[in-house]
Amino acid sequence: MRAFEYIAARDAGHAVALLAEHGLSAKVLAGGTDLLVELKAAAHVPHVIIDISRAADLKRIALTDDGLSIGALVTHTEIMRSLLIREMFPALVAAAHTVGAVQTRNLGTLGGNLVTGVPSMDSGPALIALDALVTIAGSAGRRQVPLIEFFIGPRKTVLKQDELLTGIIIPKKNLGKPAHFLKFGLRKGQALALVNVAASLWVDPDKNVFVAPRIALGAVAPTIVRASKAEAYLDGRAVSPEAMAEAGRIAVGDAKPISDFRASAEYRRELIAVLTARSLAGACALANAKRLPGKQ
Amino acid sequence: MTDVSIKINGETRTASVPPETTLLKLLRENFNLTGAKLGCDVGDCGACTVIVDSMPVNACLMLAGQADGREVLTIEGLATMDRLHPIQIAFEDQASLQCGFCGPGVIMSAKALLDEIPDPTPAQIRDALAGNLCRCTGYTKMISAIEEAARALRAESADRAA
Repeated sequence: MRAFEYIAARDAGHAVALLAEHGLSAKVLAGGTDLLVELKAAAHVPHVIIDISRAADLKRIALTDDGLSIGALVTHTEIMRSLLIREMFPALVAAAHTVGAVQTRNLGTLGGNLVTGVPSMDSGPALIALDALVTIAGSAGRRQVPLIEFFIGPRKTVLKQDELLTGIIIPKKNLGKPAHFLKFGLRKGQALALVNVAASLWVDPDKNVFVAPRIALGAVAPTIVRASKAEAYLDGRAVSPEAMAEAGRIAVGDAKPISDFRASAEYRRELIAVLTARSLAGACALANAKRLPGKQ
Repeated sequence: MTDVSIKINGETRTASVPPETTLLKLLRENFNLTGAKLGCDVGDCGACTVIVDSMPVNACLMLAGQADGREVLTIEGLATMDRLHPIQIAFEDQASLQCGFCGPGVIMSAKALLDEIPDPTPAQIRDALAGNLCRCTGYTKMISAIEEAARALRAESADRAA
């Protein structure tokens, strides 16, 4: 690795001040599982590495007035172990469990995974299916952006040079919303997704129809995308396996998969249809389980 | 330069290293602890696995400065002068390693697993080893050795409790 200056930030405020000072020549280090790989391969490394990994204020998981707040530095392992998240959003636990392997999940952070902007990331789809927002702090102040708008291209996000992603919020209206995440990779461990899909939905208990269905697809377009046409098809429609299978077929049209050395576009299209139907079925099963007596 | 003070295998060690030094390089080159191996150097192979504050991590993906003030356990910290660690004994008994390059990382992953889950299922063992690549295709014997070590460690702690 080429030489750089290393500064450990005490907290988010300190990190933002350091970014304001060093901006263009600095990079933020969180878990390091992507950044160190990048730095080792790079011909030019940033002059300054701002290490935020000790900023305790970015490590909280809490229910707030806005919803469920997850600090940017919460690791994938911490998501898997959080009783709050396990109870409320098993889909996030499933997604965290598919990231890399134990060693990388212990270091890698949720915020770090998101800022890479890689379309095959595992953290993105389930959060997008739950309408998550990200909180961004910079010298100009704080702003919130829907996660779906945070990604603007492969490895490109709206984050500016002097800004720090500080946290993720799942809005209050979606607390406990049934969701399901599925990833298809070539192996279980250390494998990027060929396709990953998350679905979330409510089921109207009286009419047994889909309410506010959301489908997010990863690794099948330059950014994670919502399967909007499939969502529109399902909204208000009676719950049935046939409707879910049809939504899967429609979702294929919402994606633009490419062929690469991992899989062909044609194979990915097939996976989108299958995984979408299965993730919808998973979310429905969770919705039904929550309706059982005593589980209100 | 970055000053680090790390408790390694129970002993506090200090060093002053360039900021871009990884924990792996610090262990191997400054402290002569060459058990953790430099394999892929990008977090895929797990040959550099060490335990930092009770968690297995890839030492190649952590800067030395990030380990400052923490506790690190490496393969050198497992055996005592009297005997090998029960995990090492089980790996030896069952001939679980062939070339041995992945061994220190695999054993540290197993150690972290058994510290947390004393009686893991085969599925939990497989999950714990997913980040350790063995190209001699020796996983089956590793899994049975970890099950054997788990039994031995449980028997030891039962003896201590008695």
